[in-house]
Amino acid sequence: MYGWIWRHLPGNTWIRVLISLLLVLVVVYVLFQYVFPWAEPLLPFNDVTVNN
Amino acid sequence: MAATTDHDERAGEAPPAPRRGRGRIAGAVSLFGELLITAGLVLGLFVAYSLWWTNVVADRAAHKQGDQVRDQWSDHGPGALDTKNGIGFLHVPSMKNGEVLVEKGTSSKILNDGVAGYYTDPVKSALPTDAKGNFTLAAHRDGHGAKFHNIDKIKKGDPIVFESKDKWYVYKVYDILSETSKYNVKVLAPVPKESGVKKPGRYITLTTCTPVYTSMYRYVVWGELERIDKVDSDRTPPPELR
Repeated sequence: MYGWIWRHLPGNTWIRVLISLLLVLVVVYVLFQYVFPWAEPLLPFNDVTVNN
Repeated sequence: MAATTDHDERAGEAPPAPRRGRGRIAGAVSLFGELLITAGLVLGLFVAYSLWWTNVVADRAAHKQGDQVRDQWSDHGPGALDTKNGIGFLHVPSMKNGEVLVEKGTSSKILNDGVAGYYTDPVKSALPTDAKGNFTLAAHRDGHGAKFHNIDKIKKGDPIVFESKDKWYVYKVYDILSETSKYNVKVLAPVPKESGVKKPGRYITLTTCTPVYTSMYRYVVWGELERIDKVDSDRTPPPELR
């Protein structure tokens, strides 16, 4: 999978490294901004109130 | 992140050999392995998100809202209580976390801003200004500001101080329940019998989850109002906070 992505990136090694880093940052951003906030309430770690 | 890049580089340098039979199985296995590595990294990131990033975001929000409340107080605006941006600050010296803004409601939307919320449901909280009742609060144990993280450091006899615009409400902790069911809403009762009191009075109840990093049980701390100090022009804190 990662090998496939690497082979399909344009440019020489350094440009590919740069693009890879950017892709990693984009993925982390999407995870922190959208995926994790969505997933968090579905997981049983953060209920602090007593309720019925 | 660096490890992933190294891995990519090596994969890229390998000549794209013609693949058949065994190669396809090897490819499937390596794809599976990469997916597992990816899942591991994502879970690791989720831990970082939960225990670090949510604190950063929540503390930022709490500071902003706390500043707004203090600004409003110094503006001598109308109305002693404005529930929109919070009604005051909670100071618990034994938790060593400074002041905690108190807002109305205990939904995750409110609590995720790094504040303590007073219950509106299932049992409506009294306010410190009320002549009798139980001022019931909840806040996060971990992540999202983790304002009640050190709740287990509170001991009987410790002070809990609530600061409003013009009063310091000094409570004294008289009972602690270190583990109870999350359905135990009786702890929020106006007269919380489980703490041993029988008569109506001016109580405060702190609730959060326990053990740390889980939501299995609830931790409850009860206090009773000891006295009310007037806020002077310098906002000199009561001796308990000095």
